[in-house]
Amino acid sequence: MRLLRQDLHTLTGAYALDAMDSASEVARFSRHLTRCQSCASEVRGFREVATAMAFAATTEPPAEMRDRVMAAVARTRQLPPEVKTHARPRRARDTAPWIPWLSGAVATAAIAVAVFFGFTQAHTQDQLNAARAQNHTLAAEQARVEAELTQAKQHDQALAKILGAPHVTLLSQRTTKGGVAVVVLDAAARQLVVATSGLPALPAGKVYQLWLIGPVKIVSAGLLPAAQAGATTPVVATGIVKGDKLGLTVEPAGGSKQPTTTPILALPLPV
Amino acid sequence: MNPNDSDASRFRPAAADRRGEQDLDDLLVHVARGDQDAFETLYDRMVGPVYGVIRKVLRDPSQSEEVAQEVLLEVWRTAARFDPAMGGAATWVTTIAHRRAIDRIRSTTAAADREQRQVEVSPPHDEVADAVEASLDRERVRRCLDALTEIQRESITLAYYGGNSYRQVAELLNVTLGAIKTRIRDGLIRLRDCLGVS
Repeated sequence: MRLLRQDLHTLTGAYALDAMDSASEVARFSRHLTRCQSCASEVRGFREVATAMAFAATTEPPAEMRDRVMAAVARTRQLPPEVKTHARPRRARDTAPWIPWLSGAVATAAIAVAVFFGFTQAHTQDQLNAARAQNHTLAAEQARVEAELTQAKQHDQALAKILGAPHVTLLSQRTTKGGVAVVVLDAAARQLVVATSGLPALPAGKVYQLWLIGPVKIVSAGLLPAAQAGATTPVVATGIVKGDKLGLTVEPAGGSKQPTTTPILALPLPV
Repeated sequence: MNPNDSDASRFRPAAADRRGEQDLDDLLVHVARGDQDAFETLYDRMVGPVYGVIRKVLRDPSQSEEVAQEVLLEVWRTAARFDPAMGGAATWVTTIAHRRAIDRIRSTTAAADREQRQVEVSPPHDEVADAVEASLDRERVRRCLDALTEIQRESITLAYYGGNSYRQVAELLNVTLGAIKTRIRDGLIRLRDCLGVS
């Protein structure tokens, strides 16, 4: 398969310029990109070249277009942030038994890192370096699994990306009701992974909901999945802005649009 | 993640360098939270490249306008899905624009139109040189394109501005598929180094 693989590598250029020959080729190459770090990084660089070419082609459209777009915007609802729940997939008979446990393993490891250092808010360089080294291993582990899974596992790649990011910050804080939330923050990408351990069990009909509590607005960052053995699997939240705190409240099942109870956690996010 | 992927390594449009405007990534994060003022600023900064690149690919002004409007609305609608780890906001927006233009020609255009359109593709070198207005971006890209071999330059402009697949480019230039893939990639590597985006 060496030939085929080499052939695939040379497609980075055509892929970045949207010049692939067919949709199936695009799909095949996209899968390849999840496994080939150097290809993905090359594509990113090439897309910037394409961006420069788009800027070089700058042409002003008819002025009326602005009003039409703004009018459409005013009546168009936005999609919510992509909050991906890393719920443990059901064990399928045809997959290796350890694969479904990966997300849980990552969460446990993240919490183990936090507990090991015993900090409430990690800030020293040593701690960050150690956390980074740990995350590196996690990302490698994740990458191995990705090589075996297909696009159905997209959400776990998002997780691997944050855990493998070069400058993550590890934060953890006890909630006012006990238990601990552990956050791996990728400030540059304005996203984070959060997992918890030891939160009080909730009565039926109640859920834990995450929030990005900003100076101006509070936006939902999704619901925590149900705890398994006292721990919740990692959840990814995106779109963090300066001044945001990560909040956690108890809400009715299904979640709320805005918090309806006092947050049991308000963790400042240094972005 | 590649350690080179810092903000500084990203392509920064010359206009932004000149005016030192608010970071596009930040703007997009505000747009994602429903901030219409932020969207208006983003629109003013990005509409030129968006419409421009679509126009290059589609050529027809009214179709280009229609696609550009769809793209800008898509930016508003899906801003929360923007992932800075995959590249800057400018790249995200122009990628959507280019892709939608390509979708349009590959889905609806009749084969006859397509033939016609290809004949109309002017020599790539002139495409850039013919620029109406000499902006810094244009100048920078033109200089870097000039530094490529002729076949690299033609492959890249026929693919990106012409909206052709690499197979079509191979046919137009009468070169093998393998050679075209390599020329496009090699050319992009040289452009990337020349533009200083990596």
